[in-house]
Amino acid sequence: MLTLSLIFVFPIVMAVAYWLLELGSQSGMGNEWVGVLGVVYGLNILLAYLTIKSLRRMTKSEKELGERAAKDEALLSSIGEGIVVTDESGLIDKINPPAEKMVGWKNEEVVGKKWFEVAPLVDDKGVPIPAEKRATQKVLATGQPISNSTYNYIRRDGTIFPVGTTAAPVIIGGKTVGVIAVFRDITKEKEVDRAKTEFVSLASHQLRTPLSAIRWYAEMLMNGDVGAITDEQKEYVRAMYQSNERMIELVNALLNISRIESGRIRIDPEPTDLGELVKQVLFDLTPKIKTKNQNLVVSVHQDLPRINIDPRMVRQVYMNLLTNALKYTPEGGDIHVIISRKGEEIITQVADSGCGIPQSQQDRVFEKFFRADNAQKMEADGTGLGLYLANSIVSSSKGKMWFESREGKGTTFWFSLPVAGVEAKKGEVTIDA
Amino acid sequence: MVVEDEELLLRAIVKKLELSGKQVISCTSGKQAVDYLESMAEKPDIVWLDFYLRDMTGLDFMNALKHKEGWADIPVIVVSNSASPDKVSKMMSLGAKKYILKAEARLDDLVEMVNEIADTKEEESKQ
Repeated sequence: MLTLSLIFVFPIVMAVAYWLLELGSQSGMGNEWVGVLGVVYGLNILLAYLTIKSLRRMTKSEKELGERAAKDEALLSSIGEGIVVTDESGLIDKINPPAEKMVGWKNEEVVGKKWFEVAPLVDDKGVPIPAEKRATQKVLATGQPISNSTYNYIRRDGTIFPVGTTAAPVIIGGKTVGVIAVFRDITKEKEVDRAKTEFVSLASHQLRTPLSAIRWYAEMLMNGDVGAITDEQKEYVRAMYQSNERMIELVNALLNISRIESGRIRIDPEPTDLGELVKQVLFDLTPKIKTKNQNLVVSVHQDLPRINIDPRMVRQVYMNLLTNALKYTPEGGDIHVIISRKGEEIITQVADSGCGIPQSQQDRVFEKFFRADNAQKMEADGTGLGLYLANSIVSSSKGKMWFESREGKGTTFWFSLPVAGVEAKKGEVTIDA
Repeated sequence: MVVEDEELLLRAIVKKLELSGKQVISCTSGKQAVDYLESMAEKPDIVWLDFYLRDMTGLDFMNALKHKEGWADIPVIVVSNSASPDKVSKMMSLGAKKYILKAEARLDDLVEMVNEIADTKEEESKQ
């Protein structure tokens, strides 16, 4: 900016100096004096120019600032969510109109007050939530953004509504100087969620009744409970029975997926010996293992700590991985299960010498309903949900799942679980019911 | 006694239990079951109960059993389509012996289990 000014102003200064020089020589003044005078004049003009320029710039930035403020104001009031801005001690700087409407207080009535006193928070039973457990206070304490949708605000008139809050720190120069919390009334979402819960529960009940009837009647026919049937008839009934079993499995898998996806699943961690858990699963799979005469080796590293996970959920992961290994490994093939500790994680490895996953389809393995072409050809029975479900469970248990596979050679799956375990989570449903 | 509002399922259960040599009282509603219990001189050895009945839930039925003298010690097994942890724990705390998911069980196994519990109960009452 200064260079630019100099480029424009310098010729003027020179022109004035030249003019004064001419004037001086006409009036008979000493040349050197005229020169000094010329420079002084020139500097004066330059300073005046710069002063005017910077004054103009200031008024311009003030105008811009005003515009910015007006835009921010419009943004704050046009947004549907309630917004509360507090300083570093949790005192309210501002609440926007939707926030005013939701809690029933006017901005000017609450500025300078503590937000947790203006809008008290209670849980579903009406028990007050202490300030230090609230999103805004937590952000002030930790400097980390936070989301919460488990509590309810009390309005000015004493009524309550469920609230979803996201709070983020305002950081200047690495220091938290305030919090912006955005919140909304989630009454509708809760209703939809409840309706979905009811629907899933109803659907499971409704689907399972006819499935049970088919199962039990087919079973009685096969047992000869209502008279002997021929071998061919028995074979047909068995086909019906097996298809029905598949349908039951499918319903269970779908229910499990909807439970996990809806986030309604309850996580009940308890100290679990993973080696024991695998042994139980293998015990349940004994009939399947025997029919194919496969070599199954389980090795569990010594001194593996018990970890706090939901055994029902992790059991499902072992069940799905092992069922796949058994299903896609030919008779007499090898299956190895290794459980070991690596740093802060416990890694389970399930390796088979089965048909493998074609290279071109490997990136789709964890997709819902996906089954590789060779798997489909080899075994008609399968939902394409097992690995999706296993992967979802592992992710929700703070672990990771990955694999290596070569078509025709075999597949190895790994999954990790944190030694620190997972946190308990409330919910109405579990993985198997 | 079998309390199950799905006629088809009820028929299969009754048939299977009779084949195993048991006498069965079948009820298609909770009220019918309670009425039976009130009029019967001898209480059943065991109750097979569906959780969702047309007129009441398993919880109502268990509460009815609990509050009548001489009914509380009738063993109940719940065979239901829905086994959410809440339901299971409530029913167990009300005194149900077992809670089984209907579609997951073979009828053979269920009948065998019922007979076992009923037989132990019979022996106990003889002693």
